Order: sequence, then structure tokens, then C-alpha cells
Amino acid sequence: MTAYRALLRKDLLLELRGREIVPAMLAFVIGSLVLVRFGLGGVTQAGGTQAATGLLWVAAVFTSMLALVRSFAQEREHGIWDGLLSTPADRAAIWAARASATFVFLALTQVVAVPLFWLFFLQDGPSPSILVLVAALLLADLGVAMLGSLLAGLTGGIAAREVLLPVLFLPFAIPLVTVAVRVTVHTISPQTSGFHTFEGLGFLALYDTIFGLLGWALFEYVVED
Amino acid sequence: MRSSDGDAVVCSGLVRRFGERLVLDGLEMRVPAGERVLLTGPNGSGKTTLLRVIATVLRPHGGEVRVWDKPLPAEAKQVRPDIGYVGHEPLIYPTLTVGENLALYASLYGVDGGRIGEALDQVGLAGRRADAAGDLSRGMRQRLALARATLHRPALLLLDEPTAGLDEDGRARLAGLLASHDGSAVIATHEPDWFAEVAGSELRLAAGKAA
Amino acid sequence: MIGSRRPRPDGATVAALVAAVLMTAALAMIFFYVPTDVSEGYSQRIFYFHVPIALTTYTLFVWGAVNAARYLLRRDESLDLKSYVPMHLGVIFGSLTLVTGSIWANIAWGTWWFWGDTQLTTFLIIFLFYCAYFMLRFSVEPGERRATYSAVYALLGVGLIPLSVIGVRFAQSNDLIHPITFNSNGANMDHSMFLTFLVALAAMLSLAVTMYLVELRGKRIDERVRRIRRLVEEGV
Repeated sequence: MTAYRALLRKDLLLELRGREIVPAMLAFVIGSLVLVRFGLGGVTQAGGTQAATGLLWVAAVFTSMLALVRSFAQEREHGIWDGLLSTPADRAAIWAARASATFVFLALTQVVAVPLFWLFFLQDGPSPSILVLVAALLLADLGVAMLGSLLAGLTGGIAAREVLLPVLFLPFAIPLVTVAVRVTVHTISPQTSGFHTFEGLGFLALYDTIFGLLGWALFEYVVED
Repeated sequence: MRSSDGDAVVCSGLVRRFGERLVLDGLEMRVPAGERVLLTGPNGSGKTTLLRVIATVLRPHGGEVRVWDKPLPAEAKQVRPDIGYVGHEPLIYPTLTVGENLALYASLYGVDGGRIGEALDQVGLAGRRADAAGDLSRGMRQRLALARATLHRPALLLLDEPTAGLDEDGRARLAGLLASHDGSAVIATHEPDWFAEVAGSELRLAAGKAA
Repeated sequence: MIGSRRPRPDGATVAALVAAVLMTAALAMIFFYVPTDVSEGYSQRIFYFHVPIALTTYTLFVWGAVNAARYLLRRDESLDLKSYVPMHLGVIFGSLTLVTGSIWANIAWGTWWFWGDTQLTTFLIIFLFYCAYFMLRFSVEPGERRATYSAVYALLGVGLIPLSVIGVRFAQSNDLIHPITFNSNGANMDHSMFLTFLVALAAMLSLAVTMYLVELRGKRIDERVRRIRRLVEEGV
């Protein structure tokens, strides 16, 4: 536990000092929202909102790629892996700390992105269930952070990592985005399609559980040489 | 945890590849408890790789490695708390301060924070605790690496060219560290003469095995 | 071959023979034995190709993942190969699934694809996963690292299957497009159709096994040649 706390502190400190990841994410997500807003023109009714929500989630996933590709960048550039791996710290703790830090960065980005999204797309329509929206975002963030950190560790040593990481992540992003969009849209204009918000959030929780367990178990194989 | 009369390190038939390239080729080595063994040999002879295997950072691909009679990688976890490794790189985060770097490693080794001050004193970096590690000169960073490796008072030191970049004072500090170290050590170096007083034996490597 | 022992037929040859027999039987049954489907007509017979190929794809995937787990536990190099080959075959069979599915879709519904269909979309996700697996494999030098990364990714894929099935099902509001042939009551078809289906399934699986054994043998020979070359280079 001390190892996890120390490593998480380290990851957060690194970002605080370096300020590389979160500003890039913010720039990307704000830019995406603005582009989408202008791209969709004046359409803010249900159909437009649905499209916008889909695009919001796509932007969210690509934003997280920005964070994930930079995971372990310092360890890589300065050869610090040898330092971390020769300590008694659990490899899973390294993964958990990185996943937690990434989760924080994603959540911070959304603190800005969600109000902006509401401003751009939801002002005229019915107000969404904020609680559900936030829950969906946090659950999705967690899944992306956990699976993404595992894949980041895996691709860290590969030259083509900036292309490879998104490619490896893509198949896993599809079910996540699919359900997340449905849940989000459902909070804005409740559909009578038989879809239950609770089940949607439950799916996201299942996603997190599965990849949390896999990440925990598999990270050591990915970093050990 | 460590027997006083057993060997610190025993390698028999150690094999390690990188991709298809054979870097360690059936290496035999023995480090008796309390002794300092020098590793010498040309670049590419496998010194760094050997140290990294003993530091449990690399897994052996063949043969056997035992540290205090514990086989690697099976019991690497039990071995790690008592190993101090200095590599080619200082293994520190440049954007964190000296103190923060050592605090991280102190936590990872389960060492009390008070040790940080002591370790910095020993290497002569006491006044630089709040400086960013990346702002240090090469020699200072090397000292920081030594502090990092000795923070938890390990029984086995694995040093890869520890004199690199050190000035006179730095070398004196290193000598002091080795003198006060009451365990074993494996030291890869291009300057075996400098270590003549402290070293017990020398193992010369060529192409991944003893020359 | 030197020696008086008669050479035993190896696994690949046996499997090939079995596959040939089953394939012939299956083809015969599909085109001459099984009755024409009342609602869909003659072209419905593509079902006997499409579904067995799809099921074989899933089987290959699971087999690859199982060997991946075994590799991580035992670090036996041959298990890396035994994990990679099923995944590789999975891409081939997966492509065939998509192709036969597309043909069937065109015949049955007049479109080449239908995004509203759960099973097609799920399969596409898994197919994308296979392709990503390949990209990973080709991005790393052969050796233990590549084997480890491949094994880890293959195991991640195991988590993907149930999630994509459930996830895509959530997103579709209508799931009545894909003909539901098997439900909780068992097979929705008469005996001759079911028998034909089983033979076709057995044929596809034995074809997969044959290709697996052949490819394994070929890759082992490659590996041996490479090892010999390496030894020669080091000896010189």
C-alpha cells in the first residue's frame, strides 16, 4: 500500500511539474467540442444531440490516448524502470498508481469538458440527469485508465507505440463507447427502447472489473524482461 | 535472510539473450559473502547485463542464478529488499527534487524518511535536497544514484561503473561508502586499479562468459 | 530415412485426411442431402458454411488464449507458437465468416452489411482485435518479449468477448435481424438440417486443426533453420 501511495504521489507530482499531459488533453477536447459544435451547425434537437454525444465520447477516447501514450514516458526516457523494478514494490502497484493518476487526469479534463458540452449542446433541451452522466463518465474513465495503463506498459518499449497503442485499444473502446453513448443519451432525453440506465452503468462496472483484474494480474508480465 | 557463511551470489551456466543475440553465454561466477568482486572486460562483454540479472531486473534465460541461495527469478521478491543497484543511468526523475526522488525510493524500500538526510550527507549532497534532480551536474547525479542505492543499507551492492563522472570528492565519498558497507559487492568497472584496495577478486568477461 | 522402422504418418497428415473426408461429406450433404429451406430458399445453404466457420473462429480464439496463458506460466517457447498460430488462423476464418456473412446478408436482406445486427458487430469487434494482435506481433522483434506481449494481449481478448456480446446487445434496439437458429429450446431445425450442420461444423473444425498442425510444423522448421543459422554464425 505504501508503494502504491508513493508511486501515485510520484505520478501526480510529475504531471504537476511537467504539465505535459493535462494541458494537451484540455486543448484537444475543447478543440474537438468547438469543431463539433460548428460542424453540426444549429442543430440542437434530439438527433443532433445524439450525434454530438457520440462525438463527445469519441473525443474523450482519443483524449485519453494522449494521456496513455505519455504514461511511463519518464521511466522510458531516463531508464528508470531498472530503478523501480529492482525495488521490492509490487509490479501491480506500479500499474495501479499509473491507472489512478490517469483516471485523475481524465476526470480533470471532463470537469472542463462536460460544462462546455452542456453549454454547446444541451442548453436548449431538457436538462440531463447529471448524476448518471457523471457516474457513466467516471466508470468509463476508470476502465480506460486501467486497461490503457496496461497497454501503455506493453507498448512502452516498442518504437511504433504512438500508433500501436490506439490500435490495440480500439477493439476494447468499441463496446465501452457504445454503451457509454447510450447511457449518456438516455440521461438527456429518456428513450422508451427498453434500455435501462442501471444496466448500462452495470455494464461499465463489469467492464472495469474485468480489465481491472486482468490489468492487476498481467502487468508484471508486461514490464518484466 | 542472509547467511553469514553462504555465498552471496552464485551463477552457473547463466544464459541471457536479447532477441536472437546471445549476451551471456554460460557464465560461471561466485561471490563469497562479504567479498567484493570486480567485473572487467571490453564493452559488450555482458557486464551490465550480468548486473541487471542479479538485480532481478532481467530474467535468466538459462542456467542458474542464486542470491543468498535463493534462485532467481522464482524468489526474486525475497531478494530485492537487500539489493542496491547503480546502473548506467542514475535512475532518478529529473523533474522531481533530490529529496522527492529519495522519498519515493525510501517508501518503495520501506525505509524511514530520516535515512534520506543521512544518505545525502554521506554522498555530500545535503545542501541540494530541494533542487531538481535534473539540475544537478553529471557527477552530482552519480552521487545521488549512490545515495539511492544505499538508502536501505543493502547487503549486496551491484555497481555498474560507479566512478563514472565522479570528481575527487565524489570518489572519496564512494570509497567511504564501500568501506562502511559490510556486505558483498559486484562492481563493473574500467578502472580495476582504483578498486584494488577494496576488491577481493576480479572476473574478466569476454563475449558473455569468463575470459 | 535410415532405419528399418516404417515412418509413422504424422499428425498433420492424419488431420488432413480426416478433414478431406469430412469436407467431402459436408459438401455432399449441403448440396445434395439437406432439404431446401422453406422460407429462404436454396441460398439459405450458405448458413452451413457461415455458422460453422464463425464457430470455428471463436474456437481458435479460445485455443490461442489458452495457450497464451500456458506460455506465461511456463515460458515454454513452443507455446508461443501454439498460441500465435490459432490466432493467425482466426484471422483467416474470421475473414471468411465476414465474407460468407456478407454474401448471406446480401441474399437475404439485400444489403452487404447491417449495423443493427448484434452478432455481426460483435464479430467485427473481435475481428478488429485479431488484426490489432497481428500489428502488435509485427511491431516487435522475435523473441521472449514478443511472445510475452502477444500472450498478454491474447488474454485481454478473452475479456473482450463477453463484453462485446453484452455491450453490443445493449446498444441495439432491435435484435431480430440475425436469423435465430439456436435458442433456449434447442435447434430450430429438423433432423436432416441439424445433422448437416454438425457435419459441416466437424469439417470446419478438422480443417482448422489440419491448418494448425501444418502451420505449426512449418513454423517449427523455420525456427530450426534459424537456430542452426545462428549456431553457425556464432561458431565461426
